[in-house]
Amino acid sequence: MLPASNIPDNNSTSCVIARNLDIGYQGEVVVPQINFELTCGQSLALVGINGSGKTTLLKTIVGLLPPINGEIRVLGNPPGKNPHQLAYLSQFHDAGFILPLRVKDVVQMGRFTEKGLFGRMTPKDEDIITSSLQRMGIEDLRDSPLRLLSGGQQQRVYMAQVLARQADLIVLDEPTSSLDASGRDLFSYIMNEERSRGAMIVVATHDIQLAAACNQAMLLAHAVVAVGPGEEILTPEALLKTFGIVLLYQGEDKGVGIVEREHGHD
Amino acid sequence: MDTFITPFSSNSFMLNALLAGVLVSIACGIIGTYIVLRGLAFIGDALAHGVLPGIAMALLLGFPGMLGAAVGALVMIGGISLITRRTRLSSDTAIGLLFVGMLALGVVIVSRSSSFSGDLVRVLFGEILGINPGALMIQLAATVIILVTVIICARPFLMLCFSPEQAQVAGFNATLYHNIMLALIALTVITSFQTVGTLLVFGMLLAPAGAGALVARRVQTMMIWAAGFGSLSVYVGLLISYYFDLAAGASIVLVATLIFFMVFFLRSRPKSTFGSPQIG
Amino acid sequence: MRKAIYITLIIALLIAACQPTSPSAQPGKKTIVVTYSIIGALVKDMVGDQANVVVLIPNGQDPHEWEPSAKDIETLMKADLVVQNGLGLEGGLQKTLTQAAAAGVRTFVASDYITVRKVGQGEGIPNAGSDQNVGASDPHLWTDPLSMKQVVAALADQIKVDLGFDVSMRTQDLESQLDSLNSEITTQVATLPEANRKLVTGHESLGYFADRYGFTLVGAIIPSLTSQAEVTAADMAALKTLIQENQVKAIFFEVGTPKSISDAIGRETGVKVVELATHILPSDGSYFTFMRDLAQTIVENLR
Repeated sequence: MLPASNIPDNNSTSCVIARNLDIGYQGEVVVPQINFELTCGQSLALVGINGSGKTTLLKTIVGLLPPINGEIRVLGNPPGKNPHQLAYLSQFHDAGFILPLRVKDVVQMGRFTEKGLFGRMTPKDEDIITSSLQRMGIEDLRDSPLRLLSGGQQQRVYMAQVLARQADLIVLDEPTSSLDASGRDLFSYIMNEERSRGAMIVVATHDIQLAAACNQAMLLAHAVVAVGPGEEILTPEALLKTFGIVLLYQGEDKGVGIVEREHGHD
Repeated sequence: MDTFITPFSSNSFMLNALLAGVLVSIACGIIGTYIVLRGLAFIGDALAHGVLPGIAMALLLGFPGMLGAAVGALVMIGGISLITRRTRLSSDTAIGLLFVGMLALGVVIVSRSSSFSGDLVRVLFGEILGINPGALMIQLAATVIILVTVIICARPFLMLCFSPEQAQVAGFNATLYHNIMLALIALTVITSFQTVGTLLVFGMLLAPAGAGALVARRVQTMMIWAAGFGSLSVYVGLLISYYFDLAAGASIVLVATLIFFMVFFLRSRPKSTFGSPQIG
Repeated sequence: MRKAIYITLIIALLIAACQPTSPSAQPGKKTIVVTYSIIGALVKDMVGDQANVVVLIPNGQDPHEWEPSAKDIETLMKADLVVQNGLGLEGGLQKTLTQAAAAGVRTFVASDYITVRKVGQGEGIPNAGSDQNVGASDPHLWTDPLSMKQVVAALADQIKVDLGFDVSMRTQDLESQLDSLNSEITTQVATLPEANRKLVTGHESLGYFADRYGFTLVGAIIPSLTSQAEVTAADMAALKTLIQENQVKAIFFEVGTPKSISDAIGRETGVKVVELATHILPSDGSYFTFMRDLAQTIVENLR
């Protein structure tokens, strides 16, 4: 068990704080004793194989799963109490193939929380939708049916919906899994944009490069293997413990990669 | 042209049947859309079976059939939620058994009535030709309630179709709106059994909305298509009963199913107007 | 709330299951099993105390479609004599009756002893199905007292041969009562102008009555010799036309007729919609009360 993060608490309103948090489903603990703090404008990457607890933690943060023990406060409240300030991108979307929705309809859903049941969409909302589409590079697809798009294009649509929510805390589960290299670059750029306007980001990812670019990283393997600044955490030893297998290569950047036995991508 | 109008203009029972059928089509088109998009067909079917013992008991005891249907629907929904909360593995089987059981219970209860098979046929296949002004008003009220509720809940319902998790995180209580949707399905089944019967109302929920899913690009237009296909089925089905001496309720549902398959085959031909599936 | 519903359902099931099906017979005497209650009433009058008379189809159930339970089948198979209507009236019992006859159970078929009525031309059965074609046999023989007279006479003979006791006194009494009944009804009907003697019933059940007393069969809500059929828009439209053309004053619905359809036709044409007991005995269990009520209801409402 590792001590709590040593990040100096220089921001009096730490926006996400977890103390001795046990997370899991229906009383069964998947990951025990999680401790971390995230302040505004910062990003946290969750790294680990599928089933290691990443999705569980994300869902606990956004309030979809109740914490089993311990404490977690999101923007000063228990999870799930801040819909206006939250955005969540889940890992799987199975509605795509039948739902008669156009791209702009999906992105417009990002404005629903703000507008409630009856609030009319104003020109300001239209601007937000348009700019979200533009930022994700899909403005020319705005009238296209969602079900006719490729996986990567659909993923950009879902990201645009996230952007349209203009959230203070953005929670993402494998956002780059179906994106190509240019898509991943775009994604990193967007994340930096969001952080610079003060949003926090928590992202679960297999992409080590992406994780390393975050302020903090947490390695999960049914327990917190390590948590701390990206460069410190993402060592070969820690990755070995998390994934069970490590590939070292000489690259321009970090020189460490991971190969998982379950799916061989990258 | 006259052949398509006179049956209705000269027979008030035909006109009433048409009005009732159109109201049912609107309700089923709206609710059927959500059923198709959310994959709730199983639940819709379960409700359609589950109301049978309630209706049977009510008829036997002299209560209005709809009261019994409401009770049956409640028992059914209660039973389903009880089962799905207990186990995740065999809930399909359990639910299937629940509604076979309810169906059998309904038949057993109806068998105590003095005209068993007539009553059973009436409940299963409806009596749209015998609809009275009172029942028409009730159907109107139900359709209006459904319409108004759907307009109010349009956004959370849309989010439920897209992703219940997203709906929840967006601040719309997914469980609450899901239950409202179930209640609307129940209301549709409970009122529609007078027109097309409990067995066939399921067809009216699925076939027009299914056809609508194949042609619509937006959820609202899907509902409009569904209501349109349903109303067309009612109109043509009644004409068939009139000119070819066939049972009305079943003719309507048969037409609705045929429309679905026609649309299905028309859409599955090579789409030259839509381009390849991958755009850009 | 859920528990209350379950309990109510269970209680209802229990109540339903406890309804009596047929009275138990006393030992020693022979048992005559009659299929339905109307003939049953006359058989009871004939036989008095000399035999047990068991009526299989409970009074109030539709004889066309009633299905026997295992116990009912046993009762039938053990009968000393089975009295049935014939011509397929007891739709749900046909198989059992055939089995019983094949197994050697003594059977009396009422329709063998009357002049069977065939469906005639122009009886207003539009779009007739296969068993309603002109020439189909009408089983509703009990609505004619004089046909019943022939039935009881023949039955008395068979009882003497098969069961070994004599009911000739009571039978003769019954026959003269049936004659009186016939005169009574004839007189009553005479008060109704001929132009009003137009009958529209739930299904084609009053053929013998119509023939005997000079009524015209205009049509039926379910154009069928049995109550089991589904109504179509074509039938309803045709019936409406017939009612209007013949200026029918009232339509009569019976057991098994969908009331909502009857009401719809009533609303459409403006005629009275009246319930008529054509297959069900009144509470005193008497055939004579049954026929008197039948005639009275018809004559009153067609005036």
